[in-house]
Amino acid sequence: MTVPTVPTSVPGGRALRVARLLLVLVGVAGIVLGAVVLVQDVSPTRYGGLLLWLAASAVLHDAVLAPVVVAVSLLVRRRGRRVPLGALAIAQVGVVVGVVLTLVVVPEIHAQRLGPRNDTVLPLDYGLHLAVAWAVVVAATTVAVAGYLVVRARRQKRRPSTDQA
Amino acid sequence: MWNATGVHRLLHLLRSAATSPTRNARTSVVLGRLLGLAFVVCLGTGLYSHWLQEPLPWMTFATRPVWLYQVTQGVHVTVGIACVPLLLGKLHAVFPQLFQWPPVRTPLQLLERASIALFVASSILQLVTGLLNTYQWYPWPFPFRQVHFALSFVIVGSLVVHVGVKLPLIVRYWRARDSYDAEGRFVEPDAALDPARADFAAEVELGRRRATGRAPDPGHEARGLVGRLQRWIDRDPDEVDEVPAGRRAPDAAAVAGREAATARRERVSRRVFFAAVGAATGGVVLLTGGQSFTPLVPFNAFGARVRGVGPNDLPINRTAAAARVLETAMDPEWRLTVANGATSRAFSADDLLAATQVDAALPISCVEGWSQTGHWRGVRLVDLVDSVGGVPEGGRLRITSLEERGGYRVTEMGREYAVDPLTLVALELNGERLSIDHGYPARVIAPGRPGVLQTKWLSTIEVLS
Repeated sequence: MTVPTVPTSVPGGRALRVARLLLVLVGVAGIVLGAVVLVQDVSPTRYGGLLLWLAASAVLHDAVLAPVVVAVSLLVRRRGRRVPLGALAIAQVGVVVGVVLTLVVVPEIHAQRLGPRNDTVLPLDYGLHLAVAWAVVVAATTVAVAGYLVVRARRQKRRPSTDQA
Repeated sequence: MWNATGVHRLLHLLRSAATSPTRNARTSVVLGRLLGLAFVVCLGTGLYSHWLQEPLPWMTFATRPVWLYQVTQGVHVTVGIACVPLLLGKLHAVFPQLFQWPPVRTPLQLLERASIALFVASSILQLVTGLLNTYQWYPWPFPFRQVHFALSFVIVGSLVVHVGVKLPLIVRYWRARDSYDAEGRFVEPDAALDPARADFAAEVELGRRRATGRAPDPGHEARGLVGRLQRWIDRDPDEVDEVPAGRRAPDAAAVAGREAATARRERVSRRVFFAAVGAATGGVVLLTGGQSFTPLVPFNAFGARVRGVGPNDLPINRTAAAARVLETAMDPEWRLTVANGATSRAFSADDLLAATQVDAALPISCVEGWSQTGHWRGVRLVDLVDSVGGVPEGGRLRITSLEERGGYRVTEMGREYAVDPLTLVALELNGERLSIDHGYPARVIAPGRPGVLQTKWLSTIEVLS
């Protein structure tokens, strides 16, 4: 495999180079400020726990959530060829909306089970609401897919030779 | 077998697997702009909230509009929640970068990758801790407020470093028309702009040609499980179905047709991606924003608080039981002491109820983002303080609660709030005597301050010069 040679200089004029240097310096200053604030305000006995939670955040995303998304999209890419592209697209939007809502609401349901600090915190039936939200997403997706397929079928009847999807 | 070549092949496999039309520098730039803006909004509103609670000596604050803090903190929390789908989308767009080969080319790149690791980890943790704080759940082994504050500088600092490092790519892909060709296919960056990406694009192109039988290159076929997986991923199922790889060369018309179809798929994929991120962002904002913003109240399905729910029809953060004031607050001998140096006056609940009563519609706005306007009735704070000589220019008040302990038992109030005619020692809320959980017998309510500073179960008010 041919691997292009690595360039020694980064492209861009003098202004771009100066801007980059300034940004990196300001950014590093920001990180240092954050570290100073942390050292001032947080007891060193808590650093271990904080580092663990930081590392776990990255690992949870990079090693669990993202690979699952990659695996699912690979399967969709290979198995979804027989499904009309537009219908697949609409369904994917629906799934993403449902999954993101679930990610945001599941910790809330768990916190409610653990027992909130008073009755006015987490007063709703979040599990029921999540189920309703999924039902709405599924219904809206179904209607949109059906509408798309009807329009597509009509178009194909009119111009059978042009539509490939 | 677990040598550098093996690792290279594995990383290449992972990158191929993660390759998608939605994962390119342009989608990263589009989402990066939105997420960067959201982070800056959260930093600004967060700093405002921080300084209201811990002002620097020279700071004074606006007391109007009365809903100022309600809006800044509502924006802080709602935009923070909106960052969840935006950050997931952004991480999705850049995910294949995780498997670069070689992992590090230069010492500078080591720093860059380290700063990105810090950026990603602290951004995820910041959103998680912020979200869980909206319902007062703290499962982590460190203090929320201090860490949330310190991480905000780390995040914005590493964001600025990241923008500095990626500036040439950001400039290159700032506009859509510079990012896609006439068919709508992404124009890969040249090697000078992004060596890792350019190498990978070239390799993927080779793999694709091998798979479609256009340029057989059996010498480079990877062996074993990694090779089999790679071929499974690289090979276009359409090609496999219609033209068995390597048996015969596909004709030019068929290739052109398939390339047009691929370009269309790429355009649709990108639209799906942005529609999904947009719809998910709209969804979480719509369904949680009702705890902070009146127009969204009817859609409040997932907000941690619901307006109108609680004693006096208003939610509470800390109960009288949690603050351990059940006995002291109900004591008939309770007095509010207002002191200025040697001068001191004590007011019983009846004294306060007999004084001139003023009505004010002011929001309780909490750091957790929820807020609700209450209809308060009580004595003007400025009238009480004037009875002991008033607050001098540059002076302030020290306000103490009956609570035995707690971070906000003793707070200070700047002169701008102390002399404001809307700042009350409230005795009634929403037409009834204050509930004990809302601070019976008397509490402070001032315009534009965080709820934690609206001291409940008042004990003493001292003038500091």
